Amino acid sequence: MSLDRVGLELGSYLSFLTRRQEVIASNIANADTPGYKTLDVSLPSFRQALVQAEEAPGLTTRNDGNNVSMDREARLLTENTMKFTLAAQMLRGQLKDIRSAIEEGRSS
Amino acid sequence: MSLFGAISVSASGMEAQRIRAELITENLANADTTRTPQGGPYRRKDAVFSTSAVQGSFAQALLELSAVPATGVSVSQITVDDSDPERRYLPGHPDADAQGYVAFPKINPASEMVDLMSASRSYQANVAAISSVKDMIARSIDLLR
Amino acid sequence: MIVSLNSLPNPIGAVATAIPSSGAGGFSEALGSAISQVESAQNSAKAAATALLTGGQGDIHNVALAAQKASLSLELFQQVRNKFVSAYQEIMRMPM
Repeated sequence: MSLDRVGLELGSYLSFLTRRQEVIASNIANADTPGYKTLDVSLPSFRQALVQAEEAPGLTTRNDGNNVSMDREARLLTENTMKFTLAAQMLRGQLKDIRSAIEEGRSS
Repeated sequence: MSLFGAISVSASGMEAQRIRAELITENLANADTTRTPQGGPYRRKDAVFSTSAVQGSFAQALLELSAVPATGVSVSQITVDDSDPERRYLPGHPDADAQGYVAFPKINPASEMVDLMSASRSYQANVAAISSVKDMIARSIDLLR
Repeated sequence: MIVSLNSLPNPIGAVATAIPSSGAGGFSEALGSAISQVESAQNSAKAAATALLTGGQGDIHNVALAAQKASLSLELFQQVRNKFVSAYQEIMRMPM
């Protein structure tokens, strides 16, 4: 009767979103650092054990070697936070369902 | 790095942009300063940004190899413009030299203002990042309810 | 032998069929393994919370999830134990 599998999928998705938010924060902080290249984590790479943030492809580099696009980072910031809110809500719902299933068993 | 590390990263971004903005306002205020204690006109200052590791816990440092980098930013150097100053012909000026030229700082107020706007936007972006991370932390704590 | 409990009406019968067993030892074995699962869930939750609060290691949502799983494990165990106890009492009341 272990609950080990509860929240497995959503839990690791939340971890992925957390890692991505950290990387986005780094990109925003270094938006004016010469030579800094935008980093990102992708879901397929997250399935492996070691998560390395890789260079995000398809960005234009300016004269000082920096390729951080504030539009991209701002968009991802909002998107990522919304996805996290949604996934956390779903996880809460799962836990609530399990709890009510247990409690219903008490009465019958 | 964890969500708390992300807050430190954004805080370092805010600090760096604030320093940059301070230097720009110094440049703007001294755009016409022809006399300084060091002698000569005011020389334009600029901040050099470089990535810098954010203070994390010791345990985190051990995991640095496999983990997402906690790269914040810091002002590694404040450069002073040491190229030849701009010389204008003003014979009656107290700081005029023998030929009647006065040395002025090489500061273009328009480009300084553009820089200031950019620093301000970057500062706000870092604030937005902190706010979103705080949101995620609150949602995670919500899971306990 | 627990096999006879299969003929009891739901839900007691349903809970009883989940017991892997041979003899009266079936009850205590099942309860014993359930208790150790609850204990390990509690320990995981405590370890995760300690790691986060002292060393800053781990994600908050994983700590919250571990805490909830420990709490749910305990609740589930309590309900299953109650069912076991009432099933046992039901058996004891049977005229033999």
